[in-house]
Amino acid sequence: MTFLLALGVGVLFGAGAYLLLKPDLFRIVVGIVLIANAANLALLASGLRRGRSPIYPLEGGEPSDPLVQAMAITAIVIGFAVTALLLSLAYRVYASSRTVDLDELSQAEVSRERELEREEVSV
Amino acid sequence: MVFVPLLLTWVAAAALALMDGRRRSVGWLAVGALAAGLAATAVLAGMVLDGGARETVAGDWPPGIGIVLRADALGVVFAVVSGVVLLAALAYEVAAGVSSRLFPAVVLFLATGLTGLFLTADVFSFYVFFELSMIAAYVLAYYGGEARQLGAGFIFAVVNLLGSFLFLLAVAGTYHVTGTLAMETVAQRIAGVEPNTVILIAVGFFVAFGVKLGLFPFHFWLPTVYVSASPSVAAMLSGAVANIGSYGLLRFGAGILPAELRLGAVALIILGTASIVYGAIQAVSRRTAAEVLAYSAVGQAGYVLIALGVGGPVGLAAAVVYSLANALNKALLFLSVELRGWLVGAAFVIGAFSVAGIPPTAGFFGKVELFRAGVAEDSVALVALIFLGGAVSFLYMFQIYQHDFWRGERRGAASPRALRGMAVGLAVVVVTLGLWPEPLLAAGRRAAEVLMGPT
Repeated sequence: MTFLLALGVGVLFGAGAYLLLKPDLFRIVVGIVLIANAANLALLASGLRRGRSPIYPLEGGEPSDPLVQAMAITAIVIGFAVTALLLSLAYRVYASSRTVDLDELSQAEVSRERELEREEVSV
Repeated sequence: MVFVPLLLTWVAAAALALMDGRRRSVGWLAVGALAAGLAATAVLAGMVLDGGARETVAGDWPPGIGIVLRADALGVVFAVVSGVVLLAALAYEVAAGVSSRLFPAVVLFLATGLTGLFLTADVFSFYVFFELSMIAAYVLAYYGGEARQLGAGFIFAVVNLLGSFLFLLAVAGTYHVTGTLAMETVAQRIAGVEPNTVILIAVGFFVAFGVKLGLFPFHFWLPTVYVSASPSVAAMLSGAVANIGSYGLLRFGAGILPAELRLGAVALIILGTASIVYGAIQAVSRRTAAEVLAYSAVGQAGYVLIALGVGGPVGLAAAVVYSLANALNKALLFLSVELRGWLVGAAFVIGAFSVAGIPPTAGFFGKVELFRAGVAEDSVALVALIFLGGAVSFLYMFQIYQHDFWRGERRGAASPRALRGMAVGLAVVVVTLGLWPEPLLAAGRRAAEVLMGPT
């Protein structure tokens, strides 16, 4: 189980890191969401003990550590808020530049700066 | 008592979020609330520096179960300096005219998050306060709402979120190997854990805080953000938010993982040197004031890392004093970047002197402490590096001064008096600490004692 969880964390983090490298704002947001969930899963896994049920033991015995679940839910909520903020930010970038492609955005930036310089020279 | 500064700013922030921050009265209300929070923090700091650390356990739980807020010398001095920076920057923006409804409330949330993370003794609530202040910082980074601010804000948010989640992964690792979240217990138990695991956790923490501080290999987001942000926001990011990085490195590196810090000392000194050299070269080659200051921030972060690498009471005290003086310098310089008038010129010169380490400024004592650390390490190379770094920063600061104030780029009508007042006020603080450095140096010593443990 620990191995499976570790594998899950690794795959989520790897997929998230891959998406972060894409020149597309929304892919980057999805990448951050995946990495956030990799961290949540790692947090959950950090408190599990072999042979104990995670929350409500049916056949008696001690449950596993509940603190990690409290931490994970806090982290999930924070991740949720951050995702909302990032999406709204990405939307505002789109609304002001009409593109979500990072290459196009930086090209627009460069051409704007050139124009400003030309204006300064002509003044 | 530890709760008071937190509650004050938090309640005020929640209330102000409902009001229109563009109105002058609401803005000054926020300044008042922030000033009250800062006053409460200062009172707390006085109590802590006089009578030792104060502790509050949330919800009256027995210690060891409840979440602990703990104000010690290291935390309170960082809280006070960040509070001063935030107050000056918020008053500056309110005087200049706030253009976004939420700006004052967001600054108060940032103040709450920062105070909280400087005063917590729990690894996970550190993460929560850390995210609170970082989310406020993301919102501030695109304040103004122009296309390039939005782009820079997006990059800032994504890179720093990656850092935050690395921090969270390191927290998960810490909990897994120690089974506790209270910093003090973590520090005791982690000493007995298998070294390979702990090194991995330590690297996670280091990368997370390195991103916040803008150290050399993690600095790539920093220039874009500082250059495109408005002066008050740049002052907050460089003077208050960047403190998270140096505080985190001190608290987690020297306080919780001292053995790993010693192990990585050489790597820290090498990275610090790279930061200083890279920042200085880039800063000298830039022409606009904001760009020079942004690269200078990368360079200044390197000194903190070197002092941390040297370690011991002398090195840690140097790291504390230097980061505090640096926070004030950066806030002063960024605030004066777009102002005009001879008073602003004088304030800028004081900031420039402080960055270069020329008396009578706070930066001089930061540099003196660094020299002491270099001498304690018995290293000619370190002393030479610190001296050369100072000389180069003198060069690039006066390039700006020459370009902006002598060649007349910033001649013309002086800026409104209230705005100049903020820059001059911070300059007075920097000079006062230069003329009467005892509080700063004592705070550095006490903070180093906290980190070294009772000896």
